[in-house]
Amino acid sequence: MNAWWIVPVWKTIHYVAIAALAGIVGVVDLRIFGVGKGLALRPLQRLMPWAVVAFVVAAASGFALLRIGPGNSLGPPVNVAFAAKIVCLVLIGLNDILYFASGLKRQVDGVGPGERTSVSARIVAGVSLVLWIGVVYWSRMLTFLAGAI
Amino acid sequence: MHVIQQWTEANAFFIWLRESPSIWAYPTVFFLHTIGLVFTAGVSLLIDARVLGAARELQVAPLGKFFKPVWIGFWLTAISGVVMVLSDFETRVTNRLFPLKMACVVAAIVLTALMRRRVERADLSTPTRAMAAASVACWLGAITAGRFMAFFQ
Repeated sequence: MNAWWIVPVWKTIHYVAIAALAGIVGVVDLRIFGVGKGLALRPLQRLMPWAVVAFVVAAASGFALLRIGPGNSLGPPVNVAFAAKIVCLVLIGLNDILYFASGLKRQVDGVGPGERTSVSARIVAGVSLVLWIGVVYWSRMLTFLAGAI
Repeated sequence: MHVIQQWTEANAFFIWLRESPSIWAYPTVFFLHTIGLVFTAGVSLLIDARVLGAARELQVAPLGKFFKPVWIGFWLTAISGVVMVLSDFETRVTNRLFPLKMACVVAAIVLTALMRRRVERADLSTPTRAMAAASVACWLGAITAGRFMAFFQ
């Protein structure tokens, strides 16, 4: 029913959005860890709305892929990798809410060129990086763990 | 070509990689390839976007410090990529899209190497911007060719 190129086109959109997202998240988190210290954090964190746009594109294309071929991800039986991926995404959401609600984001906005970030900012950035790597890990395991349980 | 094919067919590591049902075999190498690629392409695209005029309030020169992590990501992608190609040599290299993907990757990485000094000097001249535009095209080309490869022979 679908033309053969529909799936690779959605996958390409999904990948490009993820790359854009990874570029922004990666650079912000690495700067918080001290890479590229010459950069002030406020203009870097202004890129966050673009990360949200990239995430929405990635989620929408991911949803389209699920509708075309739900088998690998949704089961039945439950795909452990897909469940773990969603758990990682929810934890990322909570981590981000904590970052904004605790006032940490505003504190980090005040970090100028050459200045160090606080330990709590580094912890939140570290959790963010680990969870994003987790999202990619479980996405890769999707097709290999389909029907594992 | 034939020699490589025979070697990988007989090599214990590549046999394990091809045939083991363990997620520590092929899926893990595939994961390392993906994480390296997404990071390398993503950070490169961000630097390209800045060079092309996005986010003007971001200082250009300190962005040069991000080329080091980009290279680490590139080597992770390249090494895991070579391992995956060798694990199924003939099928991969004869894929019609393989040369296109390799051309995009090689061009993208050459551009990255050429751009490093220019970004460190905050040089936003026309040649630098042309390189950034070409780099965006190459990364998009590499990702697209990579996604379509699985649907081609």
